[in-house]
Amino acid sequence: MLWLPVLVPIIGAAAIFAWPSERRIGLGAAGVAVLAATLALSVLAATQGWNAALEWGGPLRLIAMLTPLSSIVAILVPGVALAVVLYAAAHEAERGLRRLVALMVAFAGAMELLVVAGDFVTLLLGWELVGACSWALIGHRWRDADVPASANDAFVVTRFGDLGLFLAGMACFAATGGFAFSSLAVMHGPALGVVAAGLLLSAAAKSGQVPFAPWLFRAMAGPTSVSALLHAATMVAAGAFLLARLWEPLHEVAWFGPATMAIGLATALAGGIVGFAQFHAKKLLAASTSAHFGLMFVAVGAGFPGVAVLHLVAHAAFKAPLFLSAGVAEHAVGSYDLRRMRVGRAVPWTAAVALIAGLALAGLPPLGGGWTKDAIVSAAEARQGLPLALAVILAGGLSAAYAARFVTLGFGLGEKHQLTSPRAAERVGLGLFAVATLALSLLWLPGVEAATARLLAADFPERSGTGLLLSLAFVVTGLVVGVRGVRIEFPGWIAEWFGLPLLIDRLVVRPAVRFAESLAGVDDRLIDWGVAWTSRLAGVIARLGDNVGERLADLLPHGSARAVSMTGLKSMKLQTGLSHHYYLLIAGGGAGMLLLLFLWR
Amino acid sequence: MLTIAILLPLAAALALFMIPSLGARASRGIAIGVAAVPLILLAVVAARFFGGGAQPAFVATAEWPWIPALGIAWRVGVDGVAIAIALMSALLFVAAIAWPIRLDREPRHYYAWMLFLLGVSLGVFLVLDLILFYVFFDLSLVGMYFLIGRWGHGEAQAAATKFFIYTLLGSLAILLAIIGLALSGGGPLSFDMRTLIARQPLGGVDPRSSLILFGFVFGFAIKTPLFPVHTWLPPAHVNAPGPVSAILAGVLLKMGTYGLVRIPLSMMRETVAAYALPLAILALISILWGAFVALAQRDLKRRIAYTSVNHMGYTVLGIAAAGALASGDAAARRIALDGAVVEMVAHGLITGSLFLIAGAFWQRTRDYDLDHYGGLAGVAPRMTALTIVAAFASLGLPALAGFVAEFQIFAGTFATWPWIAAIGLLGVLITAALFLNMLRRLFFGDLSKERQDFADLGRTETAILSVLLGLVLAIGVYPRPLLALIGLGSTPIVAER
Repeated sequence: MLWLPVLVPIIGAAAIFAWPSERRIGLGAAGVAVLAATLALSVLAATQGWNAALEWGGPLRLIAMLTPLSSIVAILVPGVALAVVLYAAAHEAERGLRRLVALMVAFAGAMELLVVAGDFVTLLLGWELVGACSWALIGHRWRDADVPASANDAFVVTRFGDLGLFLAGMACFAATGGFAFSSLAVMHGPALGVVAAGLLLSAAAKSGQVPFAPWLFRAMAGPTSVSALLHAATMVAAGAFLLARLWEPLHEVAWFGPATMAIGLATALAGGIVGFAQFHAKKLLAASTSAHFGLMFVAVGAGFPGVAVLHLVAHAAFKAPLFLSAGVAEHAVGSYDLRRMRVGRAVPWTAAVALIAGLALAGLPPLGGGWTKDAIVSAAEARQGLPLALAVILAGGLSAAYAARFVTLGFGLGEKHQLTSPRAAERVGLGLFAVATLALSLLWLPGVEAATARLLAADFPERSGTGLLLSLAFVVTGLVVGVRGVRIEFPGWIAEWFGLPLLIDRLVVRPAVRFAESLAGVDDRLIDWGVAWTSRLAGVIARLGDNVGERLADLLPHGSARAVSMTGLKSMKLQTGLSHHYYLLIAGGGAGMLLLLFLWR
Repeated sequence: MLTIAILLPLAAALALFMIPSLGARASRGIAIGVAAVPLILLAVVAARFFGGGAQPAFVATAEWPWIPALGIAWRVGVDGVAIAIALMSALLFVAAIAWPIRLDREPRHYYAWMLFLLGVSLGVFLVLDLILFYVFFDLSLVGMYFLIGRWGHGEAQAAATKFFIYTLLGSLAILLAIIGLALSGGGPLSFDMRTLIARQPLGGVDPRSSLILFGFVFGFAIKTPLFPVHTWLPPAHVNAPGPVSAILAGVLLKMGTYGLVRIPLSMMRETVAAYALPLAILALISILWGAFVALAQRDLKRRIAYTSVNHMGYTVLGIAAAGALASGDAAARRIALDGAVVEMVAHGLITGSLFLIAGAFWQRTRDYDLDHYGGLAGVAPRMTALTIVAAFASLGLPALAGFVAEFQIFAGTFATWPWIAAIGLLGVLITAALFLNMLRRLFFGDLSKERQDFADLGRTETAILSVLLGLVLAIGVYPRPLLALIGLGSTPIVAER
């Protein structure tokens, strides 16, 4: 039964792709209907405790199951996708809309597969299908020459991470003879270390952590709604989800927690600076996504996967509408450059949603984003003490700063643009996220917090008053700096991930291509040369044989034949019939014989 | 039944040669009809494996004496491994014969040679006698030589000759090794594969066993092909017509890896175990070499051709891991061998499809240069969609057949040599890069002026590719029937004695 939330969107996507009409309303309705059904099935699955298994043969057995943590994400995915598809059907260009909607629905299905996976084979299936869907979605506007290149780049970078998942699955099989997550419990030592390393690698790549973060910038080549979906609930979310899902068996590995926290913290801080340095609306949000997934990594590494998943939910609720509002602003001014926007007057509804979501991104209480961020601060403090907590608080301050910059520049009250206001469906999509963001504020209520902890079967860290106050101070400072310092410009290389893409291009991509070319040269010249040389040698031998050998060989039969015939002719001449000639010959022969006998001795 | 599957296409080929003045359409129709018969017969035989109950390793066996003094006879029969590959081959032949192609000369002879090649190819997979195996193995060269040489383009003659001479060298090594194998051990002289599998005539690593194993590996490595004896492959592919390339990659290359499984792995397991690691390293080099060199190609067909070196490298890696008696446990060796056989089936279907598509490109434009294309997605959506599926299948995307194969191979190898599996994984990454790059250059970006009237795939072409790729999807989503079939054959091969 648990296959249903996976199969319904995938089959539904195929049906939408075969849909005869290209009309917005029909496509939007179909997409929303399929995702609503998926959402209902996910809720049913979570409440009824569904699970499923499919035998492939031998040790290959696909397992689908839900834990309290994965139940939440399984419900989140179709929910976010529903609102985004609603918006997309109204917002995106008519050309290729059917493909776009179908792929987004399939994307959600692939993500559901990843979420329900109970073994490495199922996980890999979902994991790589999500990657393939995002390739197709990022490359949606394929006519533009740069766009498909960006899609390829994103796929190859994340696939490098996928190798870690292959490795983890292989190590699990080698140690236990199976691929089920449950068998991780009996693994120890280096084998479990390999699993942990592989998972961390693939999670870091998928979730846009350093050094893989730049692929999220390339992914901006996709339509806005694709970015919203990809950053909120699918693809990028997969990394942090996976670590939270498998924290239990992996935390035995001593270095796993600290390494996860280190990667997360580095990304949170670097991403915060990159976000603040960006004037491209979507890239600012993309850097922010890396940073916030970094915070989730910190939460998992500190031993609080439940907190990480809650932040994932809160992040989905505020990040998706920010992308969607950026799309509305782009429609208004024809560019993603924040310095040219300030469209608040023209699209007040969108601006209001952006403000709510922006404050949640900043982590301002009483919004839910504030609660989850402070939970991460407390988690860091509980695990590593104040220094780590301070670092997280600083990352939160950076987040507030770029959130303020985004809202002020994007939706500030500038001159009145001549614009068309967004369509109703776009507004509904945005509104749903605003409601969700506001609803998450309830987390601050102690009763709700306790109920959530029970629901997730998770521990929440002890809160400290100092932490909260410090955090609040940084958020306010960040907001002020963000609003006041909207004109501050940073050098371009900082805004582009500190030149990391250039470094990767120079140190990895180009050398790899050059290496391939030189190998191809060796293949053509050296290796084939051996073969060609052998065949040429054979030709030389053949000609040599033809010219010299054959003549030599001919010499034997022809030569002896000629010798015989010549002797015959010569001896004919001896037959003169004159007896004195014969006598002479006999005498000569006798003398010769005597001479021979004499000499022989 | 298997005898008919082999002999009927051969007889039909002869008949096609004899009947004069038969048009292209009629010849193609007859050829399709004849080629469908072995496919049906093999499907019937395959169904027997699912009958349940205890069965011998080889079913549908038949035997007629031929040269009793030397222990040579017409012996046919299949196990789960052979039937899986033979079924795939028969299907691919039907697809290749049915593929619409403009032939410049003598279509009747083209279809006759195709049928001839079908018969001898099935012969390789279906016979149980080493001498017959060798005969069919060699005859496949003859069929392919004429198909490339007469209906190829560019430097077809030179490519065909290189292919023929190169692989003939390999066949000779195999012949010597077969004779050496049969003359070893006790008992009366026999070329019956079953007898030799039971007898295990050679043991250990003495010079004689090593030399015989080397003969087999050398011969089969050329056919597979493995680095560094692969250089006959690119020219043969580039200059062959599309459907012939599909057969070359899909069926003929499998003879090399099937031979490795059937003969050395089954009949001289101790010797193979001793040399499993070097064989695995050779496979690893092929995986990486094929992937990197393919990445650098700008010729569509050469690029696909080099990915065959990569994929067949995976297959040999699986075979080597399956042969590593000492270090691997039985479950890991079994999964490695299953993966290798699935890879053979998957590669046949996937690369077969890719070469058929390449043939469609040649038919339309007479140009394989990737840089001369772009933006075709707008004018040829069906071709774009099907090529994307084939390319993703080839780069091992889950839910498609290649993943089932590669994942099993790597999992089985990791249990024996973790570092080889870990390095080999890089091949998975490079193939992703090279196929995505190929897709981008063919289908996306700007459509150039002279490609405005590029025709999309026709109905027949679409249907054929849909069947092949549909099967790839089916295997990828639910490989259980295929794995069950293969498992019946692979279990006795990796069983401990």
